[in-house]
Amino acid sequence: MKLTQLIRVGLAGLLIAFPAGAADEAATNSTGAVPAEISASIAVSNTTAGPADAAEIDALKKAVQELGQKVQALEQQRQQEQQTNTAAATEQIQDLDQKVRILGRQRELDQDAAAAAAKAQPKLIAGTSGFTAMSADSNFVFSLKGVLQVDSRTFFHDSDIKSNDGFLLRRARPIFQGTVDRDFDFRFTPDFAPATPTIFDAYGNYRYAPWAQLRAGKFKTPEGLEQLQEDVYTSFNERSLVTDLVPNRDVGLQLWGDINGGVLSYAVGIFNGVGDAQNSGNAAYENEVEFAGRLFAQPFKNSDLTALQGLGFGVAGTSQNGTSNLKDLPSTTGGTSPGYTTDGQQQFFAYSTNTIANAEHWRLSPQGYYYYGPLSLMGEYAISDQGVRNTATGAKAYLQNTAWEISGGWVLTGENATFAGVTPLHPFDPHNGQWGALQVVGRYEELNIDNDAFPRFASLASSASAAQAWSAGLNWYLNKNIRINGSFSHTTFTGGGGAGTTAPAIVTRQAENVFFTRIQLSF
Amino acid sequence: MKTFFFKLLLVCALAVTAEAKEIKLLNASYDPTRELYQDYNAAFARYWKAKTGDDVVVAQSHGGSGKQAQSVINGLGADVVTLALAYDIDAISQQAKLLPADWQKRLPDNSTPYTSTIVFLVRKGNPKHIKDWDDVVKPGVVVVTPNPKTSGGARWNYLAAWAYALDQYGHDDAKARDFVKRLYKNVPVLDSGARGSTTTFVERGIGDVLLAWENEAYLALKQFGADKFDIVTPSLSILAEPPVAVVDKVAKKHGTAEVAQAYLEYLYSDEGQDIAGRNFYRPRDPKAAAKYAGQFSPVKLVTVDSVFGGWQKAQKIHFADGGVFDQIFQP
Repeated sequence: MKLTQLIRVGLAGLLIAFPAGAADEAATNSTGAVPAEISASIAVSNTTAGPADAAEIDALKKAVQELGQKVQALEQQRQQEQQTNTAAATEQIQDLDQKVRILGRQRELDQDAAAAAAKAQPKLIAGTSGFTAMSADSNFVFSLKGVLQVDSRTFFHDSDIKSNDGFLLRRARPIFQGTVDRDFDFRFTPDFAPATPTIFDAYGNYRYAPWAQLRAGKFKTPEGLEQLQEDVYTSFNERSLVTDLVPNRDVGLQLWGDINGGVLSYAVGIFNGVGDAQNSGNAAYENEVEFAGRLFAQPFKNSDLTALQGLGFGVAGTSQNGTSNLKDLPSTTGGTSPGYTTDGQQQFFAYSTNTIANAEHWRLSPQGYYYYGPLSLMGEYAISDQGVRNTATGAKAYLQNTAWEISGGWVLTGENATFAGVTPLHPFDPHNGQWGALQVVGRYEELNIDNDAFPRFASLASSASAAQAWSAGLNWYLNKNIRINGSFSHTTFTGGGGAGTTAPAIVTRQAENVFFTRIQLSF
Repeated sequence: MKTFFFKLLLVCALAVTAEAKEIKLLNASYDPTRELYQDYNAAFARYWKAKTGDDVVVAQSHGGSGKQAQSVINGLGADVVTLALAYDIDAISQQAKLLPADWQKRLPDNSTPYTSTIVFLVRKGNPKHIKDWDDVVKPGVVVVTPNPKTSGGARWNYLAAWAYALDQYGHDDAKARDFVKRLYKNVPVLDSGARGSTTTFVERGIGDVLLAWENEAYLALKQFGADKFDIVTPSLSILAEPPVAVVDKVAKKHGTAEVAQAYLEYLYSDEGQDIAGRNFYRPRDPKAAAKYAGQFSPVKLVTVDSVFGGWQKAQKIHFADGGVFDQIFQP
């Protein structure tokens, strides 16, 4: 019974000392020694056991030790399993972390690739500058632009002249322009406003560099400053009397360029040659060509002198030998060319019907402008020296007609005035109290016919020998695309005003007073 | 009036001549040269100012070498190109005719003023025990390298691995192919350029090893800390020769031919070579090379010409559409 009791006590001790899951206690005893509780039990038993039980006790001790070792082995196994599981979990977490990072990076790269692919797509742009389609690399560009000008002219105190008041489509021009193969530009501008649609611009342009470009086709001859200004940016509805003495468009070939971003611009060209203020046809068959050249400087354009950045000045000229056609003159009485016209686009001078161009025709035009903040100033002088011959009398002469103008403006709403117009800071939006930009403009101009023109080559009775005009106006820029103008011009004449019911006599009979309006849409 | 036009033309001609003094250059380069050319451009500007009195401003454009070459072909107005490998400049010559076919003969050392090679950038302590190319292809090793289709550096990486395999397996192309295939099996993401791969490895924390330009690896160590990464130099790598060239037609158009040529020639000067060494490129000049030799570990280097028969052949076999890379790499 004692042995049985001893075994019970020992086992009970084991159960108490090592209950299942008592990991903490077990962890503190990892040396393989018999736990203290068991040793105490055995010690107690030994003190009361007789010699006969010694073997049993030893066996029991051994069994207990074996049990302890087994427990210890189990603990070690459990710890190893825990470590293995932790390492596996850590590795799994690291793997997952890498996968997440890789997915994130892949997403970044996909986004980059998508952005790059988007850049490689052709672009369609609609904006204030028109509608443009271009290849991703911008080497191929096609733009649709347009100009529509709806004018009114109201003449005062001109009771002898019928049918000069009213509304008119001054310009109705779609503009097709673009670039092919990166360096080759083109522009095509028909005008549907005249009774017969007319081609104004039709040219190709090769850009070797900004400072070396070659243009061929029909385009503006590089001569008059105001003439070279885009139609949509001129201060008044009609250009000044100076423009009467310079060519409009002509067919030819021109080398030109802007040096150092436009600090210096040059143009030299060969053209068919046209009479003053004329827009050439699409072909001309003459032996003699007209040379034209222009040099224009904006010396402070890129400087820090802001007050002088908008200063530009230059000189231009043309020269043609052997002119001998009626079409080389600005106009003859009853001819189809408009010739020298007033601000109201009424003819005030015409050569006699038997006068033709003869020998040399040259022009010279010093010119300049100044823009600073809302201020704009422009001045231009022109000489047109035309050889003429009277086919009836054989008389010949060189007639030197001259003209000059000075104009200025001030943007009341504070925007900057530029050669390329005014951009409203607050485009028209009445719902938000924005009304666009307002500009007041004024101009004085004169055109003088050479005295030698009278009477052998023109009639002083019908044509004026000089015209002087002043104009004042108000330009309302609703936004970049829409502009509304109102202006008044007063023109007086020297000479002319004789008998007759046609221009120029009927025009020069009294001063011209005309009020203009314009609604302009351009993009 | 005739005299008027002659005078006008004369003035125009003088004005055009004056224009040539404005000097702006565009250098289209590959990805890891940003820091090199930032230093070099400043040095060249000082040199040119002292020599001519003119200011020169060099704009930089960087990207994968192949992509940069394509950009120049498509119209990027680069006056000079400093790309990762000759094939990319050959492509500009052949496809866009912007410079002559013999462009590489115009400057010393085949127009390669500095060289580099391919090394491994690993995490600090090298936890994956990567010592050589064999370790890179082991399963479970995550490798970061850019796309050989767009990156010059990636092509150097690829060829270096291939050359090692040939060396190890008795010049058996099939085994080399299998070796490189195993390598790319370990690549989870392909960046378009070497700098992108550095970002992937260093900043995004992806991968166990970055196959990198030697200069790029040292730069990463310098910028991000030697306590974060180690550089492992393999037993064999490839001599990377990044060439330079004036893009003749563009430079002529811009009126910059003279300064563009001087810009590249100055890379061979003492100062140019020193700047290359400072930026962890291997200078050509023996004096500069000796000065910076200590910063590089010794490595057996092979060349594209000796192992692959030149870039044209290597490109056609390995990187052209349908080539070996397309066959072995499955994204």
